[in-house]
Amino acid sequence: MNSTYKIADLGPVRPPRFFQRIFSVWLRHVRVYTKHLISNGFPPFVEPLMFLAGIGLGLGSYVGLIEGKTYIMFLASGIIVPSAMFTATYECTFGSFIRLEFDKVYDGMISASLTVKDMFIGEILFAGTKGFFFSGAVLTVVACFGLVESGMAVFTPFIGFITGMMFAALALLVTSFVKNINHFNFFFTGLITPMFFFSGIVFPLDNLPELARWLAAVFPLMHAVRLVRAFFFNSFDPGLLFNLAYMIIFTVLFGSMAIRRLTRRIVN
Amino acid sequence: MRLQMKKKTSGSEIMKELAITAKNVHKTYGNLTAVNNLSFEVPRGVCFGFLGPNGAGKTTMMKMLFGKAERDHSQGGEVSVFGYDPKKNALEIKYFTGIVSQEDNLDQELSVIQNLMIYSKFYALPGKQARHFIKNVLAFMELSDKKDFQIRQLSGGMKRRLLIARALINNPKLLILDEPTTGLDPQVRHVIWDKLRDLKKQGVTILLTTHYMEEAFQICDDLIIMNKGEKVMQGPPARLIDKHIETYVLELLHTGGKAFNATDGVRAEFMNSRMLLYADDFEKIKQISDQFKAGDFILRQSNLEDVFLKITGRKLHE
Repeated sequence: MNSTYKIADLGPVRPPRFFQRIFSVWLRHVRVYTKHLISNGFPPFVEPLMFLAGIGLGLGSYVGLIEGKTYIMFLASGIIVPSAMFTATYECTFGSFIRLEFDKVYDGMISASLTVKDMFIGEILFAGTKGFFFSGAVLTVVACFGLVESGMAVFTPFIGFITGMMFAALALLVTSFVKNINHFNFFFTGLITPMFFFSGIVFPLDNLPELARWLAAVFPLMHAVRLVRAFFFNSFDPGLLFNLAYMIIFTVLFGSMAIRRLTRRIVN
Repeated sequence: MRLQMKKKTSGSEIMKELAITAKNVHKTYGNLTAVNNLSFEVPRGVCFGFLGPNGAGKTTMMKMLFGKAERDHSQGGEVSVFGYDPKKNALEIKYFTGIVSQEDNLDQELSVIQNLMIYSKFYALPGKQARHFIKNVLAFMELSDKKDFQIRQLSGGMKRRLLIARALINNPKLLILDEPTTGLDPQVRHVIWDKLRDLKKQGVTILLTTHYMEEAFQICDDLIIMNKGEKVMQGPPARLIDKHIETYVLELLHTGGKAFNATDGVRAEFMNSRMLLYADDFEKIKQISDQFKAGDFILRQSNLEDVFLKITGRKLHE
């Protein structure tokens, strides 16, 4: 008896489109985040409150005008965006590492019709969304203090969105190297914390030595702070385009390096 | 081998549909050869098993079918899963495949039902259809009353059933399971075997790895025994036993290292203080057992485990 062989044909196979896949990943993160909305949504409102009351009012009374603004105004405009940096960085360091190594969430996800690339683009977008929400929360608190002068300030959360994506890309690249979760401490104390202090948030950079000013310009957060202040005070200059370009190029560059390295770690 | 007969083109010709073909597949990790020149074919609608000790390359081979691992470029080799090459079309393959990995990778932060809802989104199932499918897969895996549980509240057996339920959500044509019953109690194991038989009846092609001989014997139509990345033998479980090992085994439990003079037609093997005698002739082996008192010996039919140990050796592999 002869038998002939042929590859079984399933007919057309049409996996979800790119945007549907990205959206589904984003939705997974939103679901997990909003599951504990009270405990997750609380800190972004409380932290700026303490900052403004403690440092702004307390320290501010000893400080004169900065760039023609009172210190509390200078500080209020500065603290809108670092919250986006911190939340995105935590999400894509500790959060991503736990998903990668401990909970194996990524393995579960790529067993469905998703690629590793989909997974991390979705994650970067989610970090951006968190950045939007966190800077929006800070803006709300700042507004409650009566510190918002210009209506253009409502656009600052969009800078928070880009900031979140930018730091998610950086954090994922760091995560792709990390084998032990404690190593993130080096990243936080070595880069993220100094970035907060040297990006013109709590004090202006003009009086710093030349070298420190150059260093601050390399720090991605400084560019976000400049953009946020421009919207907050409704005063724009052409240099801001450079700041925006820096953030976008940084995100794309670091994001694609991170995805390439993480792909090699997940697909072996 | 059970073949799915699609259509008879002539009186003597059977059209055999293949779900998977692998030709000369290699995979190395540094100096370690995980899979060495492996070739096999899986007809559509069968349950196909990969049997082997830890480190035999079973999991690696599974992973190479859906792009979780990449086969070596340098040594050629071809893989086709329903006509798709996992190197290029992993996304398509995953769209019609359900994958149950060895490790539990459920989303710990979501409940049972949320796990399934989110997973249905990865396949872009519309909400109404998703809810309908989820209800079905939960009922099928007997988890309907656990739908609002958190993952950490589930036992190992429930988690495994949920992983299978999750893999069924896209109504897969192919189901890949990596050690689906390792570490589970006998009840759960039997339930899972029943479900897999059910799925096979529905036309799902099933691929599984296991080191439980019983499991392979119970549900596999065809299987490969692997050792050190290579295929050692292939065939339906019953035929492998038939072909590679004597029908009966007499295990002498306390020989105290004392050798027993094997007679013609009886093969002897030593294992520490135990001695195993194999023979096709029941009478012959029965006569030997009569010399011992009850409790000192076990007389039984040979099974897949005997074949497996004969082929892969009795020493530890790691």
